[in-house]
Amino acid sequence: MNILKKTIIYILLITVAIVSVFPFLWMVSNSFSTEDNIFKMPPQLIPDKLFKEGMFDNYVTVLRDYNFMKYTLNSIIVATLASLGQIFTCSLAGFAFARMRFRGKNIVFGLLLATMMIPIQVTIIPEFLLMLNLGWLDSFLPLIVPSFLVGTFGTFMYKEFFENIPKDLEDAAAIDGAGPYKMFFKVFFPLSKTQTSTIFIIAYMNNWNDLLRPVLYISSQEKMTLTMALTQFQSQYSARWNYLLTGAVLSILPLLIIYFALQKFVVEGMTHTGIKG
Amino acid sequence: MKRAQFSWYRPWHPWIFLIPTLIGLFVFRLGPMIASFFISFTEWDILTDPEWIGLTNYIDLFEDPDFLQILGNTFEFSLVYVVGVMFFGLLLAVLVNSKLKGITFFRSAYFVPVVTSSVAVGLVWNWLLSPNYGLINAVLEAVFKVTPPSWLGDRNIVLIVVAMVQVWKMAGYYMILFLAGLQEIPNMYYEAAKIDGASKFQSFKKITLPLLTPTTFFVFTIAIINSFKSFEIIYTMTQGGPSNATNTLVYSIYLNGFLFYKTGYASAMAYVLLVIVAIITYINFILKKRWVKYQY
Repeated sequence: MNILKKTIIYILLITVAIVSVFPFLWMVSNSFSTEDNIFKMPPQLIPDKLFKEGMFDNYVTVLRDYNFMKYTLNSIIVATLASLGQIFTCSLAGFAFARMRFRGKNIVFGLLLATMMIPIQVTIIPEFLLMLNLGWLDSFLPLIVPSFLVGTFGTFMYKEFFENIPKDLEDAAAIDGAGPYKMFFKVFFPLSKTQTSTIFIIAYMNNWNDLLRPVLYISSQEKMTLTMALTQFQSQYSARWNYLLTGAVLSILPLLIIYFALQKFVVEGMTHTGIKG
Repeated sequence: MKRAQFSWYRPWHPWIFLIPTLIGLFVFRLGPMIASFFISFTEWDILTDPEWIGLTNYIDLFEDPDFLQILGNTFEFSLVYVVGVMFFGLLLAVLVNSKLKGITFFRSAYFVPVVTSSVAVGLVWNWLLSPNYGLINAVLEAVFKVTPPSWLGDRNIVLIVVAMVQVWKMAGYYMILFLAGLQEIPNMYYEAAKIDGASKFQSFKKITLPLLTPTTFFVFTIAIINSFKSFEIIYTMTQGGPSNATNTLVYSIYLNGFLFYKTGYASAMAYVLLVIVAIITYINFILKKRWVKYQY
């Protein structure tokens, strides 16, 4: 490839990178601005508090006075428990589908695949009524339990992995006296570290970013998740952009850290998920 | 006939392993689907007892001019989204499908909007597109000396603007899907074409596009399903407004079901949505034979 061609390709690559990332950079940069500076015309490229005294004022205010510390903690609790649940449920089901033969296997698996395509809005009204009758409204349970219990993509991924493990290993473990539970917990599950990490991260992101369920189920201020708090914050203080942008940065920062640290799993996982909000 | 293989497990073991999944499947997926179906034939506000009214909700829906507009919005959003993500997804995939230095950096940069929440994305674009202090209008006015439209206030363009923001957010995801497909095409085809004197464009048209059709089909199916699910971006950016211009089926189900307490009516909408998704997916699979070509 000659130099000219290479240069053109790099210019294209950089342009697209700017389009993809610039809004976030602009957001981070302005989270170091005072309110006056944000509304200045023409827009200021350099935020006025960057590397100056009180640089983190917006962050301190949002985290402390607007309770974002609490919301972050709520999001962490919800996303962690829901993702652990996904691992538990999906790995067990994946193991059964991969290694056991039973009547109705194709029907159950088919139902699992078919219902994956259904938009959540189709099932959300009865789900809400169920939560109402269980007395679970305004708690974390409705945010955790539904994704705890069923996961198509995770099941699928575990099934594919467990199917490819040679039968010899299973035979050897069984001859050594391993029953089905020991077989799963001591032999098969420990082998699936990559799959487990991938499924955990994807489930974590989906739960972290979920908006519909928190909006429907959570009503008290101190139980809100981060994404939900951000939308409330937006409707209450629609003009305080320095705080709003700081809140937005805080809401995406944990996920971006996870993404950059564990990129391989994220991209790999999303390629396999197929369907993603 | 396959010979029955020896198994270490008893017949009840699989069902024990499937307990959590089965509970989830019936309680959170199949059960609610059936329940929605029955609720859609009632008039109900949750507080009082439901009243069976037969097909009235469905008849009302299709006689309501607002609902017809909502349906129209849903299809328009879907069209912009599907065309947008497929076009830009493939474009980005072709762009990053090379072994240039630093290409993995660009791939991860393009993926950043995918992993961020729709709420944060909606918020930052609301600000960039804002008429008075938004960066985009400031640049358009200062550099190009044009009077930009009110992106989120003009009824005629707001739906397209919101759909394009969603395209911007998700393009990186479709890039990854297309990239996986591109990398499955063996290099020998391109080498053979080169020897025969084919131009880059010719090999793209005659080799890449046909051999990519299985991936394209997969991506297309997913894009359609995802296009009907977009709720967060509308909730954050416009809340269905101005005057219903961005109200889609999923948003309207939320409004009617949870803000107006028209549970039966909202369930009828949910079923319309389900039927639309089912029909489109079905047509898609039927047409598959006509244009999808397999390598082997």
